[in-house]
Amino acid sequence: MAQTPQTTPAVTAAKPAPPTPPAALREGAIGTLDGAGLQKILTDPAASEFQKAKACQRAGETGATETVPALAALLSDARLGTYARYGLEPIPGPAADEALRAALGRLQGNLLVGVVASVGKRRDAKALAALLGLMGSADAAVAEAAAAAVGSLGTAEGAKALQAALGRATGRRKMVAADAALVCAERFLADGKRAEALALYTVLSGPTMPQAARHGAMAAIVREETRVGRPGK
Amino acid sequence: MQNRRSILKASVGPLIVPSYVLGQRSGRVAPSDQVVMAGIGIGARGAHDLSKILKFPDARFVAVCDVRNERRETIKSTVDQAYGNRDCKTYADQFELLARSDIDAVLIATGDRWHTPLSMIAAQHGKDVYCEKPCSMSIEESWALAAAFQRYNRLYQAGCQRRNGANFQLCRELLRSGALGKLKTLYANVGPSVNWPPLPSRDWLEGQPLPPPQVLDWERWLGPAPWRPYHPSYVQGGWRNYYDFHGGGILEWGSHTVDLCHWAADLDDTQPVEYEPVGGNTGPYSVNCKYANGVELVMRDNAWDGALNTGSCSFRIEGELGWVETGDKTKIEASENIKPLLRPTEPAPMALENHMREFVTCVRTRKTPSANAAAAANSHVTCHAAFIAFQRGRKLTWSVEKREFTNDEVANRMRSRAIREPWRI
Repeated sequence: MAQTPQTTPAVTAAKPAPPTPPAALREGAIGTLDGAGLQKILTDPAASEFQKAKACQRAGETGATETVPALAALLSDARLGTYARYGLEPIPGPAADEALRAALGRLQGNLLVGVVASVGKRRDAKALAALLGLMGSADAAVAEAAAAAVGSLGTAEGAKALQAALGRATGRRKMVAADAALVCAERFLADGKRAEALALYTVLSGPTMPQAARHGAMAAIVREETRVGRPGK
Repeated sequence: MQNRRSILKASVGPLIVPSYVLGQRSGRVAPSDQVVMAGIGIGARGAHDLSKILKFPDARFVAVCDVRNERRETIKSTVDQAYGNRDCKTYADQFELLARSDIDAVLIATGDRWHTPLSMIAAQHGKDVYCEKPCSMSIEESWALAAAFQRYNRLYQAGCQRRNGANFQLCRELLRSGALGKLKTLYANVGPSVNWPPLPSRDWLEGQPLPPPQVLDWERWLGPAPWRPYHPSYVQGGWRNYYDFHGGGILEWGSHTVDLCHWAADLDDTQPVEYEPVGGNTGPYSVNCKYANGVELVMRDNAWDGALNTGSCSFRIEGELGWVETGDKTKIEASENIKPLLRPTEPAPMALENHMREFVTCVRTRKTPSANAAAAANSHVTCHAAFIAFQRGRKLTWSVEKREFTNDEVANRMRSRAIREPWRI
């Protein structure tokens, strides 16, 4: 957010000097390294937490495929796990998908929640079975993240599982499942599967659904049914 | 009996609202017809927003959520004093606040990293949102924000209050009237690089001992941002100019002035297709952009409060027949042929009051606010794309349809940032 009021004073004069990062916590040359250099940092036991964090971020931005195994190894690090995903999420190709998918079976708690989100972001269809399994997790955060990821894949099987979850879930878990189902319906629309989308929206507009999702689904149905140029109109 | 609340809860499309629902006949507003609001992360800027809400008879502010105990108590005290009671509730957990079914809308004025995830969570809970800018941390977040508010059919107003500033509106009117002729170039001035470098630091500060959790919940303060060791400077506003929390001078100020350019030139539904960075991190610098229709957009740091002395957050419109420029001082400068068309405008602080007024009215009438989520997405994507071009140090081309850069895969990978677990968008 902006910190300034409407009549912002002129800021042409320099502000008081802020604290300075120490040399050990400056990105420096890491921001210029290629994949091999990043790989060296990521696999060096003597490299600091900071150096590895910066190497992860640069690996993702440069798409350094050779760093995937090293990034995958950091997914279980409580502090660097997010950075490892920062690296893996944008790296193209199946290696990153496989690394994230493999982590679904070995992580727990928040770290697993993060990996589930990354899998959903990459829309890795091969992870569907694992995600469906995680939707039944006793860890509510894991189950909710898995539902969201399933929704983002936009598959018929996923839609069926989300509807089943909506039938038995309550409270926040039901709200998240409904959100995932709304996203799934949007995927259907984007993929030209209008009938499937409308069917899902109809379920979501039912009286037992969370109110916000119900209203969203109703609005979507109205929007679709009144869209100029819709099929059959 | 039909009241504003029942209409609001059931609304899925445009509605005609009778005047008695709006409380316009008696001049007073029944409590059941007031917009019930709450705030999350109310710091200095948010308190400024709040001061406007507290003036509206048709709004009632009932709760505040903050990770800092001191801020929670300060805002509660402000609200209770304004209303003459002790009713404002405090929360450390946003989910507890959002679960309250009596709350219609939330003011979000946290640090930037929280803006999109929190806004989306609020929409999921059926709340309308007024959110400070910058509204997003990445191109991906910008689109996700717009999609979420369409998904839930909720209202969103970005805190781009200058859309409701009379001096800015007159400039827009001059363009739309044809007085300026065919539009050539828009200038979105951004804060000078001496304080707002376009490339924020990717460094960390030395870790300091954590304060007690009842004073500050550092994990929740970090929220969606990647972990780093605690330093009190971040919490005291020093998070700005650090990449993991901030988009540098281009996003910080472009979210104000690019937004103005888009609004004035009817570009709320698109983005430029070219982004060319000029200059370095210590300035002067610019990012020269071009839309598909040939109109140019220049983001520049050397005219913030420059020779024309129009004030901060100024923007300039140049057409084939004339030009006009204004900023937070409300003074309007123009080419000689345009000067006869200028007129005095209201004081600058009215913009924020008008903007918040527009939001509260929209919550009541279900009309779409001017700085809605789709418009915010387009102006923020423009800023993020310019920021990425500056980081890449090269001219980038952009496909509006595909929502991707067409000449740089690294730039495409920079369209999103991983979000720290358990948060997601």
